[in-house]
Amino acid sequence: MLKVDSLSKRFDGVQAVRDASFNIQQGTVTSLIGPNGAGKTTLFNMICGYIKPDGGTVHFKGKDINASPPYAIAAMGIGRTFQNLRVIKMLTVLDNILLSVPDHQMNGILGPIFKVLRKNSELGCREKALELLDFVGLREKADDLAGSLSYGQQKLLSLACCFALEPSVLLLDEPVAGVNQEMIINILTLIRRLKETGIAVFFIEHNLGAVMEVSDRLIVMDEGSIIADGIPSVVREDPAVVEAYIR
Amino acid sequence: MDYILHILIMVGIYSIVAMSLNLLAGYTGLISVAHAAFYGIGAYTTALLALKVGLPFWINIPAGILVSGAVAFLIAWPSLKTYDDYFVITTFAFQIIIFSIMNNWVSFTGGPLGLPGIPQPTIFGITISSHLFFLSFVVAFGILTYMFLTRLVNSSFGRVLKAIREDEIFTMSMGKDVMKYKVSVFVIGAAIASIGGSLYAYYISFIDPTSFTIMESIFMLSIVIIGGAGSLRGSIVGAALLIFIPEILRFIGMPNSIAANMRQIFYGGLLVFFMMFRPQGLLGEFAFGKSGHKEPKEVRKNA
Repeated sequence: MLKVDSLSKRFDGVQAVRDASFNIQQGTVTSLIGPNGAGKTTLFNMICGYIKPDGGTVHFKGKDINASPPYAIAAMGIGRTFQNLRVIKMLTVLDNILLSVPDHQMNGILGPIFKVLRKNSELGCREKALELLDFVGLREKADDLAGSLSYGQQKLLSLACCFALEPSVLLLDEPVAGVNQEMIINILTLIRRLKETGIAVFFIEHNLGAVMEVSDRLIVMDEGSIIADGIPSVVREDPAVVEAYIR
Repeated sequence: MDYILHILIMVGIYSIVAMSLNLLAGYTGLISVAHAAFYGIGAYTTALLALKVGLPFWINIPAGILVSGAVAFLIAWPSLKTYDDYFVITTFAFQIIIFSIMNNWVSFTGGPLGLPGIPQPTIFGITISSHLFFLSFVVAFGILTYMFLTRLVNSSFGRVLKAIREDEIFTMSMGKDVMKYKVSVFVIGAAIASIGGSLYAYYISFIDPTSFTIMESIFMLSIVIIGGAGSLRGSIVGAALLIFIPEILRFIGMPNSIAANMRQIFYGGLLVFFMMFRPQGLLGEFAFGKSGHKEPKEVRKNA
C-alpha cells in the first residue's frame, strides 16, 4: 500500500536518512524504533510531504506522491500525528474533528462566498464526528475547548482527528509518549482496533513495551539507515540492534 | 447634530474596514498592514468612476470591490509565501507601493492634490445629501458586512481560518490547502475594505493619498486589537471607542493643532495598555503576542 524506495535526506552535512526502503501492508501494525536522531521523524516528514527528499520515491496505492503537498497527501489517505502534540486548542473538541471534513466547496478563491450563501451541509458529518468521539471515548467532551483537555486526552483527540480523515495508512509519531499507563492501554487498544478495520498503522515509539505488545513488524533505524526489519521477536535479538541501543 | 452624525458615519465606515481586517488579523492570524491601501483602492476606483465616467454608486462600489480584490489577489501570492513578521514587512512594502502610485500618478489619481468634487450617490433619483440619510446608507452596508462575515466565520470555512491562526502544520495534516484559504481570506478582506473606502470617498467627496497611509493601516489594526481580535462586534466597539474618545479633546478646549498630535499619543498609549493588560482586547478571544502552540493564560469562549 505504501512503498518507500531508497529515500534519502541530508541536512547540512548530516545524513538524516540514507537509502530507506520498505513496504507497509494493509491491516498491519509496523513500528519504527531507533535512538534519538536516527532519522525517524525525518522519514515520516518525507512520506507526508513536509520535507522534500534528496533522492528516492514514495508510492501510495501505486501512485507517486513525491511531488504532492502535505495537505494533498493527507487528503489521499495518509493520516499522521505529530511528536509535539498538535490540536487546535481554541476550537472545541468537535470542531477539531470537523476540520477533517473535505472542502468540496473550496473550488477557487471565491468558494467561501458561495459556501456562505448555501445552507449548512455538515449535519451528517457532525454525526460521524460524534461517533468517532465515542470510539476514542471523548464524546462527553465534544463541546469543550480542546485546550481544556488533559495531555492524554489531547493525544487521543489528535488521534481521532487523523482517524476522521478516514486514512488507509496512519503514521503516528510517538503516540504513547508522555501519557500514563491507563492511557497507553487505551491508545494501544485503539491501534489494534484500527488494524482490524484494515488500516495500516506505522508508528514511531520509544516505549519498547508498547511497541512489542502491538507490532507485527519492527523497523529499526540508526544514524539514518535502516539496520533491521522484521518480526519483533527476531529483530529484538539482532546484534546490530542491541549494539545501537547499548552504545 | 450633524457633528454627532458625522462621528457616527465615521464609526460606521471604520467598523466595516475593521471587521474586514479582523477576518485577516483576528481570525486567520494574518497581520496585514496594507489594509489602508485596499481601502484606498476602493475609494479611488469609486471616485474615478463617479467623476470621469459618471457611473452610479451601485456600479462604482462593486467595481471598487472587484479592483481591490484583484489587486489583493496579485499581492497575496508573494505576501503569503512569507510568515509572521515577514508577512507584516511584505504587506508594509505593498502598502508603500500602492500609496506611491496614488501619490505619483498625477494624471490618473490627481497625485497629492487628490480628487475633489466626488458627486453624492443617488438612490431612485434621490440624492443622499443629508447626514442622516448617509448614515443610514453606511449602516445598511455595515449590517450587510456584519451578516456576511458572521456567517463566514461561523461556517466550516471560518473554522479552518481559526485553525490556521493557531497551527498551520496541523491544519495541513487535516488535508487543508492552507495557502488557498489564506489567499481567499486576503482577497475577501481587501474586497470588504474597499466598501469602506468607497463610502468614505462618497461621504467626504474629496480624497487624497494622505487618507491611505501606513498610519491609517496601523490605526485600523489598533481598532482590531483593542476591540478584540476574533470578534466582529469587538471591531465595531473598537471603532466607536477610538473615534469617539479623541473627540473629547476638542471639548476640553484643546487647540486643533495640539489635539491632532495628542490623538496619536492617545492611540499609542491605549495600544500599549491593551497589549500589557488585556492582549485579547475588549471582546476578543485571541491574544496577540502569544503563540497558539502555547497554552493561553486565559482561554475564553467567543464573547
